[in-house]
Amino acid sequence: MTSAVVKAWSAWAPGIEDAVAWREWAAVPTVLETSGHPDAAFLPAMLRRRCKPITRIMLTAAFDCCEGREPSAPRTVFASRHGSINDSISQLEALAQRKAISPTAFSHTVHNVQAGLFSIAAENHQASSSVSGQQDTFASGYLEALTHLDRDPDRDVLLVAGDVPLDPMFAPLVEEAAAPHAVALLLAAQGEGTALRFAVGTPRPAPRAAWPEPVEFLRWLLSAEDRLALGSGECGYEWQRA
Amino acid sequence: MARRSPCRLSALGMVNSLGGDLETIWRRLRTGDQSRFSARSDFLPHRPLVVAAIDEKLPDIPEALSAHRCRNNAVTLAALRQIEPAVRTVLAKTDPARVAVVMGTSTAGATSMEQAVADHMNHGEFSDAFHYPQAEFGGTAGFVAGALGITGPRYSISTACSSGARALASARSLLSLGLCDAVVAGATDTLCGLVTNGFSALHAVSEQITNPCSANRSGLTLGEGSAVFLVTAEAGGVQLRGVGESSEAHHMSAPDPSGAGAEQAMRAALDDAEVRANAIHYLNLHGTGTPQNDSMECKAVARVFSNPLPCSSTKPLVGHTLGAAGAIEAGICWMALSQREARSMSLPPHRYDGVWDPELPEITLVDEGDSASLDPEAEALAMSNSFGFGGNNCALILGSTS
Repeated sequence: MTSAVVKAWSAWAPGIEDAVAWREWAAVPTVLETSGHPDAAFLPAMLRRRCKPITRIMLTAAFDCCEGREPSAPRTVFASRHGSINDSISQLEALAQRKAISPTAFSHTVHNVQAGLFSIAAENHQASSSVSGQQDTFASGYLEALTHLDRDPDRDVLLVAGDVPLDPMFAPLVEEAAAPHAVALLLAAQGEGTALRFAVGTPRPAPRAAWPEPVEFLRWLLSAEDRLALGSGECGYEWQRA
Repeated sequence: MARRSPCRLSALGMVNSLGGDLETIWRRLRTGDQSRFSARSDFLPHRPLVVAAIDEKLPDIPEALSAHRCRNNAVTLAALRQIEPAVRTVLAKTDPARVAVVMGTSTAGATSMEQAVADHMNHGEFSDAFHYPQAEFGGTAGFVAGALGITGPRYSISTACSSGARALASARSLLSLGLCDAVVAGATDTLCGLVTNGFSALHAVSEQITNPCSANRSGLTLGEGSAVFLVTAEAGGVQLRGVGESSEAHHMSAPDPSGAGAEQAMRAALDDAEVRANAIHYLNLHGTGTPQNDSMECKAVARVFSNPLPCSSTKPLVGHTLGAAGAIEAGICWMALSQREARSMSLPPHRYDGVWDPELPEITLVDEGDSASLDPEAEALAMSNSFGFGGNNCALILGSTS
């Protein structure tokens, strides 16, 4: 078991955009809307112009989670199963026609584009990683956040997990509860907040939630339930209130 | 901070344009062999491209893992096979759920994705051979777990060209947290249309073999490959001794010209390893051969280290393997350290045209045949730099005692 403290959280999904709305949703959870994204008007226009929906959603959750704190302070982990895959399709189509691709579009579809743009917008010079773990991407991001707390226990880690529905071209290939969403957690090794213990082990077969896993984690965090088990493949992940 | 617990890089497997086994790769590194580069006309629409491609036959992906069948995973499997006996030994005495996989990649199965999108454009559907795990970033780690029978956590890190270095950093922490007993960690990237055309569009690609630190340098040369380590919490052998990380908060595709981000990562690695700069015996440069990278990196190196620290970029020998570079170049340090003698350590040379760029602050480049002098009582230490798109930097320090 490894412990960490959730010092703050925030989340974004269409129509559920602040803490009050999320508490109401968590009390009576329903399937999420499948389209929409925030403006992310807090971003400088030069940066925002290049931000695709996935980036606007993840950066909105990231900056909301830092409200009242210095966004340049924490290490960051961005977890997304699909990342910028939708946004690379036009480049792949250009390649198929042996046409030139845009250098800016290329550099803005790397998997760590949200991490890079967050660091620029927040003037954050701390360590940052971007991860992807198939159906267990949220747990993978949480695990990666714990590795940052191991390397620097005195510094908070901002974990931002999010995705948007896959482009219709790829969507039939992946079975998932797709919805545009991001959940941000400000994690610390110790201190004030909700203390959680985390363990890795045998998966407990359970029906998957009708909403994405980061949102299921948030629902649990806001509930009175003692434990949360995720992981439908070979590996299970369990959280417990400490 | 308390001294860190041991983190042994117990076994290494590697494949790249230089070869498919450590002995061949090391021999060609030491002799500065550039014969493996070739000009290929199948990547860019209007001109040939010099690349460091793997030309040997790759292993077949087993039928049970057909959802992961792509060139990137075949390259990964070629490296994995070299450490498979060591991993099997661990799995024979450890719960496979206590073994983790962390893989770096920036391309994943991009070639499969390119083919799939082309098929969809031409026929309105994908071929039966295409499966999403071939293309998604997390599929690289999922494939490794499946290929080795590991049932613990598995995920991919994709922070562009620092991905592979980060995978090793995370492996050390997973052991230190007590969440795992062993980790298979490394990185793979393969040449594909997206990265060759993307870097070409950024005017980052050299027309000849990359020429780092030269006044004539004009860009990077892309390569491909994989390096995978078995990482354990044991003492001895080659240890991962330090990790330093930074974000530049500067630009998505250009480094901070001052080198501040690179300097921050190198200093953090020294602090983490609890060693002074003058304790380092060798630095494997990121050394891409772009005007911007070499300028900022040399400035940073000159500020952190006092001359003469032997430095080389091995990218003129294996190409820039992107996300795999951090793991491959840590692997090159591993090969040097694991063969250290009491008083010396053979180093890979810095191949270039010999025309040092007078605009760069002076650093010491490794010549062919050079060795580092060692104190028989002291730990030999090597640092490897990796700097990625998005300003994502990671420096690693590896060490071994005689």
